[in-house]
Amino acid sequence: MSTQKLTIRKWFRENLWRHAVALGMSIFALFPLYLVVISSLNPTGSLQLTSFIPREISWNNYKLLFTSPAIPFLSWFRNSLVIAIAVAIFSVFIGASSAFAFSRLRFKGRKQGVQILLLVQMFPAILALSAVYVIMERVYKFAPNLGLGSQAGLLLVYLGGAMGVNIWLLKGFVDSIPVELDEAAKIDGASPMQIYWLIFVPLAAPVLAVVALLSFIGTLNEYILARLFLVEMESRTVAVGLQQFIAGQYSQNWGPFAAGSILLSIPIVAIFLSLQRYIVSGLTAGSVKG
Amino acid sequence: MTLFFKGRFALFAKIVILSIVSAVLLMLCQSAFAQREYAIAGFLLLAVLAMNYVYLTNKRTVPFKFFLPGTLFLVAFVIAPIIFTVVMSSYNYKTGNIISKEEAIERVSALGVEPDENGTTFDIVIGKAASGEWEILVSDITNNRYFLSTKSTIADVPISDLKRNEFQVATEAPGFKRLSAEVLSQDEGYSKIQYKYLGEYFIVADQPEVGAVFRQTLKYHPENDTFINLQNGQVYRDNGRGNYANPSDKAQYLEPGWRAPNWFSNYAKLVTDDKVRGPFIRVFIWTVIFAVLTVLTSFAFGLLLALALNKAIRGRRMYRSILILPYAMPSLMSILIWAGMFDTEFGAINNILGTHIAWFSDANFARAAVILVSLWLGFPYFYLISTGALQAIPSELNEAAAIDGANGRQIFNKITLPLLFQILAPLLIASFAFNFNNFNLIYLLTGGGPKEQLEGQIAGATDILISYTYQIAFGSNTQDLGLASAISVIIFFLVASISLYGLRKSKVLETFG
Repeated sequence: MSTQKLTIRKWFRENLWRHAVALGMSIFALFPLYLVVISSLNPTGSLQLTSFIPREISWNNYKLLFTSPAIPFLSWFRNSLVIAIAVAIFSVFIGASSAFAFSRLRFKGRKQGVQILLLVQMFPAILALSAVYVIMERVYKFAPNLGLGSQAGLLLVYLGGAMGVNIWLLKGFVDSIPVELDEAAKIDGASPMQIYWLIFVPLAAPVLAVVALLSFIGTLNEYILARLFLVEMESRTVAVGLQQFIAGQYSQNWGPFAAGSILLSIPIVAIFLSLQRYIVSGLTAGSVKG
Repeated sequence: MTLFFKGRFALFAKIVILSIVSAVLLMLCQSAFAQREYAIAGFLLLAVLAMNYVYLTNKRTVPFKFFLPGTLFLVAFVIAPIIFTVVMSSYNYKTGNIISKEEAIERVSALGVEPDENGTTFDIVIGKAASGEWEILVSDITNNRYFLSTKSTIADVPISDLKRNEFQVATEAPGFKRLSAEVLSQDEGYSKIQYKYLGEYFIVADQPEVGAVFRQTLKYHPENDTFINLQNGQVYRDNGRGNYANPSDKAQYLEPGWRAPNWFSNYAKLVTDDKVRGPFIRVFIWTVIFAVLTVLTSFAFGLLLALALNKAIRGRRMYRSILILPYAMPSLMSILIWAGMFDTEFGAINNILGTHIAWFSDANFARAAVILVSLWLGFPYFYLISTGALQAIPSELNEAAAIDGANGRQIFNKITLPLLFQILAPLLIASFAFNFNNFNLIYLLTGGGPKEQLEGQIAGATDILISYTYQIAFGSNTQDLGLASAISVIIFFLVASISLYGLRKSKVLETFG
């Protein structure tokens, strides 16, 4: 009897605080998300929270997204997908080939090159916004399809950062591939291009997939450039479209906004959760090892 | 597989791709050149040359085969804008001083006209002379006089030669080719010409049917780069800061001005000009407080969670999946959702607390809201990395300490915590640098507000440096790109030194040795 009491007390001392902390923070984490879910199902679409348990469930807000001309959600979603997929594919190739060269090839100025890349990467993109704007405004004058206001132009601007952004994650991975593999291939007469395409790319495929998905998510989440570039209603991305839709009118437009943000978030959260392991190891790469 | 890399097929494919890309870039280069965008045209030409050299020769260019595409994008959209920003920071470049000097001279001349004393206007018809020049047929009905006028000639037409409508307005004259309204709406060249009239006066065709009499008041003299007021003889000289100004009264200058180098004035303004210095310092202090508080609170809660869940308690996996959600959500959406929750009338926060607080109208409430949201966005990240770091600490250390008689708290304080800090310091610094520039959070949550509108200030209570810079560059009535660029350069130096310190600590740089 007394030993049982002791174990209960011990359990309380050892574990209760753990549950309390985890539960408290979980409620904090879930609260806004739960709120969005129930307001997206609320038939009145109002921002006001009448009760925590929805009394009536309606898909009206979701229907509005696909029918109302004020929220061309499908076009936005298509724009977002096209831009994000293109950025993902191109930036993987740009990033992977640079990481391979920095990690495996020996050449003059390698170290300086990396340092310049690092330094340039620290210049926050928003600060150079006015300059990017001026450049693309000029491009618009002779090539309207690539300049300001075009999705292709936005894609080009996004690719400017492709070389630097994922270089840590990629280089960490390249470093973990044994050098002996390349050396053996080299002895067999393989050129660096062959080593890259036939040895590195197949081995790195999982990491490349993670990098592609990371830049996919990052692009969907980008706001200010997309906002500056895509002025027309139909050409906007989901993020910009929903932000402009809700701007200043929380009370009227909350319902469809909530529905739209859920539709955008579900795929992103799903991708993130399924790649958790890789993303977390990417986050800590270079520090835990240090 | 080697087929793709060696031999005729590979060479053929390479040449085809290379020529297509080169052709497209050269076409763009040519149209850029035609539009007088020489910098862009030059860049495109260099890109084509570099590509062909790198991919067609072999010896020294191997590494560049891997770099070139990324480097071209980097130069065009990252490095060039950075250089542009740095150059701009030493220019007087703001509303009223945006255009080039040539354009400014043109505009000042065009604006430096005045109507004659009576504000005379005539009925006119627009067309072309036999020479192809723009010409107007003017009907001075009061004086019963009709004449044709071009930029350089004026000739009276006898009434007998004219065709007039019922209002006595001449519609046709010999040798005059009238143009239809459709043609004129396509080509507005007629409105830019000063048609000859009496003496110093000329006629301007503002609208297709009405001509007004003007005379020039400001005349540009290219030989000594001055503007002279023809009526009162006042001379305006280039004041060296992008305007023509009265040499004896500096406040009297001509609009518009042009972008002119002013060297370090934008930087000096941050220190010397009270109107700029006050908000700048206030914003700077809040930026540091915001970044430090965000990192500390997120780290504290993240670490607490990592410690709590560092034991296989029941439901740990479920907790973990829930706790990671704020990090997995697209942050843009989360911020907008929080902004809705803080709504004064209908927001969930006031609803639950039973209060009626106008969160974003009061400086302190707005700041508290910003910190709360950034905690929500940030703690999962710190939970994840703290968990990783806790697992990276070798358990032998704790066991050895326990054998030496240390209790749990001592082990935590003396071993776990210092080691954690050592492992996580670079990430804490990186996170500080990130939050220092967390534009989206501030801009989308509070818009930098509340602002003291009465005092006409740009800086709001929750503005951080980067959102403040954005306001200066793009926000309010006067856009000061020069000053914004100067602040950008300062932010860059701050963030770069913080980040470099962090990187050196993490020894990441050495892996490139």
